[in-house]
Amino acid sequence: MSILVIAEHDNDTLKSATLNTVTAAAAIGGDVAVLVAGSDCQAVAQEAAKISGVSQVIVADNVAYANQLAENMQPLIVELAAGKTHILAPATTSGKNIMPGVAALLDVAQISEVTKIESADVFERPIYAGNALAKVQSLDSVKVLTVRTTAFEEAALEGSAAVEAHGAAHDAGKSSYIGEEVVESERPELTAAKVIISGGRGMGNGENFSILEAVADKLGAAVGASRAAVDAGFVSNDMQVGQTGKIVAPELYIAVGISGAIQHLAGMKDSKVIVAINKDDEAPIFSVADYGLVADLFEAVPEFESNL
Amino acid sequence: MNSYKHPYKDVDFVIRHLLNFDAFCEQNKIADMNSDFTAVILAEAAKFATHQLDPLNQKGDLEHPILKDGKVIETPQFAAAYQEYVAQGWASLSASEEYGGQGLANLLSVACNEIWQSANMAFSLCPLLGQGAITAIERHGSEYLKEQYLAKLISGEWTGTMNLTEAAAGTDLAAIKTQAVYDDGQYKISGQKIFITWGDHQMAENIVHLVLARLPDAPAGMKGISLFVVPKYLANEQGEYNIENDVRCLSLEHKLGIHGSPTCVMSYGDNDGAIGYLVGEEHCGIRYMFSMMNHARQGVGVQGLGVSERAYQAALDYACERIQGSDKAGNALKIVQFGDVRRMLMAMKSGAEAMRALCYYAGLEADREQASNSSDEKAQFAAQTAFLTPVVKGWSTELTQEMVSFAMQVHGGAGYIEETGVAQYVRDARILTIYEGTTGIQALDFTQRKTLLDNAAQAQVMMEKIAQTCALNELDENVKKALNSALADAKQGVEYLLENPSQASFVANYYLQMWGYTIAGWLMAKAHLAATKELQIGAGDNDYLTTKQVSCEFYCEHFLVRTQACLASIRAGGDSVMSLTEEQFFSHVN
Amino acid sequence: MKVLVTVKRVIDYNVKVRVKSDNSGVDLNNVKMAMNPFCEIAVEEAIRLKEAGIATEVVAVSVGEKSCQEQLRTALALGADRAIHVEAEQELESLNVAKLLAKVVEAEQPGIVILGKQAIDTDNNQTGQMLSALTGMAQGTFASNIEIKDDKALVTREVDGGLQTIELAMPIIATTDLRLNEPRYASLPNIMKAKRKPLETKTVEELGVTIKEHTKLLSVTPPEERQAGIKVADVAELVDKLKNEAKVIG
Repeated sequence: MSILVIAEHDNDTLKSATLNTVTAAAAIGGDVAVLVAGSDCQAVAQEAAKISGVSQVIVADNVAYANQLAENMQPLIVELAAGKTHILAPATTSGKNIMPGVAALLDVAQISEVTKIESADVFERPIYAGNALAKVQSLDSVKVLTVRTTAFEEAALEGSAAVEAHGAAHDAGKSSYIGEEVVESERPELTAAKVIISGGRGMGNGENFSILEAVADKLGAAVGASRAAVDAGFVSNDMQVGQTGKIVAPELYIAVGISGAIQHLAGMKDSKVIVAINKDDEAPIFSVADYGLVADLFEAVPEFESNL
Repeated sequence: MNSYKHPYKDVDFVIRHLLNFDAFCEQNKIADMNSDFTAVILAEAAKFATHQLDPLNQKGDLEHPILKDGKVIETPQFAAAYQEYVAQGWASLSASEEYGGQGLANLLSVACNEIWQSANMAFSLCPLLGQGAITAIERHGSEYLKEQYLAKLISGEWTGTMNLTEAAAGTDLAAIKTQAVYDDGQYKISGQKIFITWGDHQMAENIVHLVLARLPDAPAGMKGISLFVVPKYLANEQGEYNIENDVRCLSLEHKLGIHGSPTCVMSYGDNDGAIGYLVGEEHCGIRYMFSMMNHARQGVGVQGLGVSERAYQAALDYACERIQGSDKAGNALKIVQFGDVRRMLMAMKSGAEAMRALCYYAGLEADREQASNSSDEKAQFAAQTAFLTPVVKGWSTELTQEMVSFAMQVHGGAGYIEETGVAQYVRDARILTIYEGTTGIQALDFTQRKTLLDNAAQAQVMMEKIAQTCALNELDENVKKALNSALADAKQGVEYLLENPSQASFVANYYLQMWGYTIAGWLMAKAHLAATKELQIGAGDNDYLTTKQVSCEFYCEHFLVRTQACLASIRAGGDSVMSLTEEQFFSHVN
Repeated sequence: MKVLVTVKRVIDYNVKVRVKSDNSGVDLNNVKMAMNPFCEIAVEEAIRLKEAGIATEVVAVSVGEKSCQEQLRTALALGADRAIHVEAEQELESLNVAKLLAKVVEAEQPGIVILGKQAIDTDNNQTGQMLSALTGMAQGTFASNIEIKDDKALVTREVDGGLQTIELAMPIIATTDLRLNEPRYASLPNIMKAKRKPLETKTVEELGVTIKEHTKLLSVTPPEERQAGIKVADVAELVDKLKNEAKVIG
């Protein structure tokens, strides 16, 4: 088995998604090489060389790869695919952008968002927005995979792989990078947020929501509220999560001082992970929470924030 | 609050298999129309209703229209939704192609109406009433009126209202006092009308009021009333409608339900008199109004269907989520697992399906009338439609009260609290047995005009149709038994009425309800047959089809049997109903 | 300029997905089907390009069994000018679909092909990128804005952590993200007109593509039910669990 992992980076630092992907590669077993394609990206290559389980780092350092444009990356990866059994990239927007074309040029399938390596050719991946899990066997000689990073641990940084330069520059000349706009610190929309922290009547008043906002700023979360908090006039109507408010299903939902009335549960019960912080240990919210913390929210929430 | 889902499988089954719409289209050479295409149109309507109208339903309930500086300001976002409704062409569905309508079958308009009413009854009343204005002008208006008003009303750019009721003239229209005078080549209208639904709003460029009024030389009573078109804005010399007419909204009623729909007190002619245009001939207004009656009344029946379906969906979702108690093994139970909750859910399911079958069947009868080339046949279809109208209105809307009440009951205490939204359905639905002729009026119409007047000829036609279905070998034995029994009850009810016409007003409601259960039962039996046939062919959706069979069986066991009680009360006649003196009513307190 | 827009028939997003008891797949029998939401956005964008006078013709294409003509009719009702149905009875993998689309692209020579970034059934997010690689057209994936000026296109892309803008040489492939636009509803007159718009059918053989099997679906299972939660002792344990067990915070 000979595996190529496409590194995710911004020319300065290696993104942790690469570490998760290497773990997935290691689960397949065999020789793992990492491709760092970028411009002025030697520092990234040095970092990649430290990833445990990686035997070789290939650096393609050329302005053509500065922004990892798909049109330029694809011929490079196809070139390096010779002799490889697997090519892996994290299922980030970058990996998802580049890899299907690589697969097409190799005339093989891509297996997207792999969450589990069953064997060298059998993989598990979610379909129907995670409402079903498919076990897929690849029949191709080269397996092109994107890896859902949250499904794999980060590899350790205790290795020392050889770093080799790869000279070929491919500039398809069809695309160019104009600019990037990093999302402002403004909080995401409730329905689009990956993390939501909501407060209930237990918040006491509207000002106290600031302790939730502090957590939200750290987690890139949206701030929501229960109907009780809205009715009590703490916060505005558009923050209401629940049957009569917004229906949400984030990765992480943190319910603070919310008892868990059925109307509220109806609006958030499909969240992936639910945390409840409430001082009443009988509160119904605990029956749906993955992690419950019975505590005074005015102590627990600031402590939580400082621990992030 | 869950969101509205179009019951597209049942709708498709009714149109395709129960009513055999494809055969109708083929026989009448209606190009480009069939069940498949109907499904496409309804799917688009449903998409709009689910995403745009349903979410505004509760908003309309909470944020009533207000009267400000003489103008009615509707619920926020209603105007945008209305303009979207118009832009998508839904207002023009069944209107004639000559004036920009799509000319589609009435059945389609019934099916769309169900969707609008399920999603947002208060909002959908506005276009429903506009339909009345269109029909009146289309059938009875002069060329001038058609030219000036029809295209705008059909497109929905202008809305229409019906102005019948006055403070002292409710059910009795003969008491109308609003005056029309012919002065200087113009009719001028003055008087006050009440209960004018969507009488004013800012959603459209103009509002076309159809107003019943009395000319000075008019004969007394019903035969002295004329119908006028009174626009909110009159045309200037360039033909632009921007001159304010002498009409305004005086106040808004505070109502139990349909809060999103402004119910206006309208004042005509506070200054010089509102300029109006006569529809048809003088003194014929009531006749013209009656010509729209079938459509309007059936429309209200469909409102009942719509709100019943919607309330059922809310109850069903709640019952499948709400956890209460546990079984002996300690497993938590959803309330849908409890027998009495099941009974109510089944009743709502089969009740809504029976209403749908009846409303759509009656809707297609109107299409048959329209499509027929023979005048005899046309007359027969018209007579059947007239026979069915009070049943569609009076039976469906009464059953609706039970359906929405069940929906609240399934919710328990949560249902009585406004937050779940189900209380709104109960409040909204309550108007349905009242407006466009109370159930009492429907029952009178049904016994007097639709049964006694033709010596039960149309009742006979219906009984024969039912008997034919009962005679079919392939009909399920239990269903057949139930239908036969109901048919026998109906027969005896008709006989009683013919023999005791003096008792008609006392037994009218029982008689109407008995026929409602029977005709809907007949259609449910036919649905059972059609589902069985489809199951035998084996190309359909087995899950849906077997569910349909069960629903029909439930109907037979729980609703169709009600004809027995109706018949018993009919036979009791008016003795106990009428034997007390007015004073005796107070004997327990005086 | 011609716009080619792809349309996939998928399970309606409101329908609760049920895994078949024999784990062979998801039960799609008699389930409500609809146009893939990302394809709706693609169709909307195509129509807007035409309304803006940039495109002259919108051609909708779908690969699949006969029933996907329903979704093509929807595209026509929304404003597409004509439709091409590539008939394929079996469920095709993305690469095979991309190869078929490449043939259609070759025949139609569109200035831009707009696809949904992914279908909500298989969640693959591949076809547009594959089509780009196969045709040599530049790609702008996960687009939240598309601006076409002469022979260049500016595409704003929704990338992790922000928005990226790239410039592409026409002709291009674009895949749509949620914020690109808000799809319209089909109007009744347009639904009626759509019946008479041309819908052409092509077979896989006619397009000269050999369908190759690249993967085998071994099983489909429902995800694990939500496990009964635990109570944590303190904030430190909570943070630890979220980081290392649930892995929902960094």
